[in-house]
Amino acid sequence: MTAGLPTGFEGWVAEAARASGGRGLEWLDAQRRSALEQASAQGLPTNKDEQWRYTSLKGLQEQAFALSAEPLTALQPDDIEEALVAGLDSHRVVLVNGRFSPELSPLEDLPEGVRIAGLAQLLESDPDVLRGELNGVAGDELPLFAALNTAGLDDGVVVIVDDRRIVERPIELIHLSVGLDEPRVAQPRNLVILNAGAQATLIERYLSLGDSLYCTNCVTEVSLGRDALLAHERIQDESPNAFHITGFYLRQDTASSYRGINIGLGARWARTDLCVSFSGEHAECDLQGLYLAGDGQLMDYHLDVDHSLPNCRSQENFKGILYGKGRAVFDGLVFVAEDAQKTDAAMSNRNLMLSESAEVDTKPQLEINADDVKCSHGTTVGRIEPEMLFYLRSRGISAPIARRMLCLGFAGEIIDKLGAEPLRDYVTEQVGRRLESAPLS
Amino acid sequence: MLSVKGLRANVGDKEILRGLDLEVGPGEVHAIMGPNGSGKSTFAHVLSGREGYEVTSGSATFEGKDLLVLEPEERAQLGLFLAFQYPVELSGVNNTYFLKAALNSIRKARGEEELDAVSFLRLIKDKLKILHLDDSLLKRAVNAGFSGGEKKRNEIFQMALLEPKLAILDETDSGLDIDALRVVADGVNALRSPERSMIVVTHYQRLLDYIQPDYVHVLAKGQIIRSGGKELALELEEKGYGWIEAEGRAA
Repeated sequence: MTAGLPTGFEGWVAEAARASGGRGLEWLDAQRRSALEQASAQGLPTNKDEQWRYTSLKGLQEQAFALSAEPLTALQPDDIEEALVAGLDSHRVVLVNGRFSPELSPLEDLPEGVRIAGLAQLLESDPDVLRGELNGVAGDELPLFAALNTAGLDDGVVVIVDDRRIVERPIELIHLSVGLDEPRVAQPRNLVILNAGAQATLIERYLSLGDSLYCTNCVTEVSLGRDALLAHERIQDESPNAFHITGFYLRQDTASSYRGINIGLGARWARTDLCVSFSGEHAECDLQGLYLAGDGQLMDYHLDVDHSLPNCRSQENFKGILYGKGRAVFDGLVFVAEDAQKTDAAMSNRNLMLSESAEVDTKPQLEINADDVKCSHGTTVGRIEPEMLFYLRSRGISAPIARRMLCLGFAGEIIDKLGAEPLRDYVTEQVGRRLESAPLS
Repeated sequence: MLSVKGLRANVGDKEILRGLDLEVGPGEVHAIMGPNGSGKSTFAHVLSGREGYEVTSGSATFEGKDLLVLEPEERAQLGLFLAFQYPVELSGVNNTYFLKAALNSIRKARGEEELDAVSFLRLIKDKLKILHLDDSLLKRAVNAGFSGGEKKRNEIFQMALLEPKLAILDETDSGLDIDALRVVADGVNALRSPERSMIVVTHYQRLLDYIQPDYVHVLAKGQIIRSGGKELALELEEKGYGWIEAEGRAA
């Protein structure tokens, strides 16, 4: 059944069929089959493909990852202590190697009108809730990695908030990877639905115990109903040897508001696709991002914001710090359809280069087909200002600490937008720690 | 305390300082005056270790140590302080965080214990009181969006906190109206002490109405061509720099 998949990717779905064979859901099987066909038909993108112009898939292909289909149940709550953010009060959901872990997810005190469950669990107990929702935002035409995720779709997290419910504490999804004997790929699938007027904060963290080699290929779909409000904070802090792929699909209904913050710190190779669409007017979407790329690291961001309706607003603001031989790609597209008048969109990508050998390819684009819009884009690639450095040093602060202060100042604009203080402190510390050991040439 | 002998320095191919001599003793306040382009700011920058200047000959020692071989931070740690003519805006860097990092770097270099958050805040409050400042500057990013007066006040505040042995005020009066000037001058005067020396670099005499110097030096074309007491400043104000430069040429 995996014949025709690009070489090296057969293992991503091979076991999925076996593991989930017993679900007996015709609509789900049809979706998986269709996704598999798409993945097979597409083949492996090359650098002739605009979406993959600056990013090679060779390293990933060579690994020939196999799907980690079996749940890992040996972990005890004590084992994940180091993966927690001190002082962060949340509804915590833990996935281990892509599979929902009920033992590690204390969800007893959920407020009324909020449903959080493992996807596999829900496919067993209440599949009708999911019918029409899975791939409801991502759509039927999927790029390779979302197609692979869908072809192997079986577990992940589902969050559903009923009309007008306000979830006070953040919902925290911890995607934890634990080293296994052979390189594994995890393909969690998350589905978040905020119905009309609902409000929530969602924190997604991707990290590992140890520094093993693995791949995460996750897809998160978010659907915001009329007037719904979601603050969504994603922190990718995978193992330094890991590969990470995110397909994020957001659809916003009338007057809904989405505030997203994407922090990319870990993984040796990380690809993030953020796709936004509107199904109602007067919606607002704010995408903020911060990435660090050091020696041997690639951070690749693709934004696709589709203003198909009038009167919506979007902001895309991504900042990067590159050091050593780090590489980053920022490829953002804001598309404004012909009748999407009064669209207000501003895209910005700023990069701070700490070394000569770091590289960034940045390409913010606007495609505007309406005539009454307010759209702008800008990009900068700069170095630390010698003036600023001298000012700090003249106050007795050593050059390395002064550099770090300036970098944290640059990053602070994004970090300060995180809602919870413990998380801000945690990210500041993680960023600071990386900069401390950052080679400057 | 500070001993500068025959200091020559270039910016690119251009020689700006051409054999400058200056001796500053403990507790003394020296004014260095001179027309634009005379080398006043270059002198302040060379002493503080800013990049972009090449010292070709001469020496500058501070308490017997060769300043010119030291990094800017090492000079600051020895007790040198430069109040900038144009304080730099550091967006994203919180002022309180910055002040604490600076103070603790200097304390650490001197073998003193670093201050914890509580003692630091107590110290800050004391210093604000001495300078009659409020704490509104502390919560903002360093100099970011500050008015000209606020920036200069922030410089003086840093000086109060870091307690340098030698402070160099580089055209601290530039861009200030008379009220702001008075606030800054009052701050400087509050920090005068028998152990603290100051070099006040200025184009105009008016700052010296508020900060009374012990000595006045006139800098022209990279050399000190005349030194005297504070009455020299008044004479300059009256007659302009042309008088002294002409005299210098005649001699």
